[in-house]
Amino acid sequence: MDLGPLPQLVVSGILTGLLFALISVGLTLIFGVMDVVNFAHGEFLMLAMYLTFGLALVGLNPIFALPFVALAAFVLGAIVYRLLIRRLLDGPPSTVVFGTFGLLVFLQGAAQYFFTSDYRSVPNPPFQGTLHLGNVALGEAQLIAGLGALVMTALVFAFVEFTEPGRALRALSEDRVAAQLMGIDVQRMNALAFGLGTACVGAAGALLMLTYPAFPRVGTEFALTAFVVVALGGFGSVQGALLGAILVGLVEVLGGFYISPALKLIPVYALYLVVVLLRPQGLLGRR
Amino acid sequence: MTPRSHGLALGIVVVALAALALGYHNAFVLNLVFVGLIYAVLGQSWNWISGYAGQISFGHALFFGCGAYASALFGVHHGSPWLALPAGALVAAALALAVGFPCFGLRGHYFSIATIAVAAIAEIAVNNIGALGKANGFEMPILAPSLASLQFDDKGQYVLMALVLFAIAQIGTITLERSRLGYYLRAIRANQEAAASVGVDARAAKLATFAAGAALAALAGSLYAQQTLYVGPEDTLALPISIAIALVGVVGGLSTVWGPALGALVYVALARYGGAVLGGQGHGLDLLLYGGLILVIVSWRPDGLAGIGGSIRRFVRRRSAETPA
Repeated sequence: MDLGPLPQLVVSGILTGLLFALISVGLTLIFGVMDVVNFAHGEFLMLAMYLTFGLALVGLNPIFALPFVALAAFVLGAIVYRLLIRRLLDGPPSTVVFGTFGLLVFLQGAAQYFFTSDYRSVPNPPFQGTLHLGNVALGEAQLIAGLGALVMTALVFAFVEFTEPGRALRALSEDRVAAQLMGIDVQRMNALAFGLGTACVGAAGALLMLTYPAFPRVGTEFALTAFVVVALGGFGSVQGALLGAILVGLVEVLGGFYISPALKLIPVYALYLVVVLLRPQGLLGRR
Repeated sequence: MTPRSHGLALGIVVVALAALALGYHNAFVLNLVFVGLIYAVLGQSWNWISGYAGQISFGHALFFGCGAYASALFGVHHGSPWLALPAGALVAAALALAVGFPCFGLRGHYFSIATIAVAAIAEIAVNNIGALGKANGFEMPILAPSLASLQFDDKGQYVLMALVLFAIAQIGTITLERSRLGYYLRAIRANQEAAASVGVDARAAKLATFAAGAALAALAGSLYAQQTLYVGPEDTLALPISIAIALVGVVGGLSTVWGPALGALVYVALARYGGAVLGGQGHGLDLLLYGGLILVIVSWRPDGLAGIGGSIRRFVRRRSAETPA
């Protein structure tokens, strides 16, 4: 049986989806623990991409830059939590929306001012070969980015699932008051969750630079896709985010091929509307 | 402020700007005033749904675009611009009802993201539909200047038209604050369940507000198109426009009569130095300052510039009351 380009598209869709997964896991982690939808999530991704680009200028392969970028993102996230997000949590829910929205505008403006609107790609990008598996041809960079994202997502999952701080994070997302009564330091754990969520986009930014240029508005589209993924998987669910991300990756790649590349995001955004209206708890979320 | 003092303030602003439009023939300044008024109207239309009704929209450019495209289509197909105004407003109101009816059941951020998604879908669609000009948009034909063609050779005339729209938006808001709908919205925002239990239909109240705001934004879009005579997706429908509209609303102060106008004033002043007014990509300093301003306002003064103004007024009044006569 000849499947035509389908196997190629499916593999490509899954690899794209894995990167979405890493970005979305960060978003859903923050949401699950402190009920904050971070509208500036994509801007942290953008900053991580610029940092990776800067490190590449001094000769560092993005893969080796990844731990540094992720660590820097973690620290930045924890600082942003301490300075800004913590203050917002005291206000009505709309305060958080406007606060992270202000952060989005601020960071985008800063990037445009300091880095200009030019597209920046890693000079002499590594992994330019192509692998052939049957009739599936894969760019090495795309493969490494996808697998790297899978490894990072698995690490975050393992942290949340099997470590003591991870257990505390899960306890907070299940029942904040009970967790507090058990002696969990909410402020500390919130800062940890925000740092960890930002570290996810830090790692994703480094991986993304293998195949994608950095520019001030690069985060917006990825963040929007992450909102779709997180809604699909259920706000707060890590496994749901992984599943949702692969579905969205497939929808985007298959839609781009069979409908039109220019229209590939319409089914993705339409998927968001269908999910939140018909199944607001998402595929794996709890109400 | 009482409705009377709001009215007085509006009268002063309108008279002053009308005098400027008629007497001061600096095209550059008048253009800034025009754009500022358009943004004040857009910010106000956003304030109705996202301030008073508490449903935060990040896709408001969709309605602005409805009006702009209505004007463009009527212009290109030789229809009267005076028909484009109600046509765009009607389409925008219908879209608002279509989006709002299912989506007002959603919790806060779900709704906000839904508005981004709907506006993004519309933008992509317009970019790919031949009859809507695709990414190139429309150059509107230049007609003999007259009130009938809504084209003028003097920038001041456009300012006067925008001033009429601005007055409508302000009077609408002053009326809303004192109307039954305004009280319903306040009750819903404070506690939707409690409001529903005394018979307030939250969905109907929000839908009415959303549709009216969408129509108002479309009127601003039509007028904007009449002045630029070019309409494309980048400068009417794109996410940065939606962001700018929300910026104006938040900075000025949510749920206040004068907040959007103050926000628009700051926006135009900053954008003037950032080189970006409506869609153009500036060098980013304006966004940086605006974002910083929002962060300061949100963490210290959620009621924005208008709220700070109110505090100053009360402070001055207290001081003058304490001064022995």
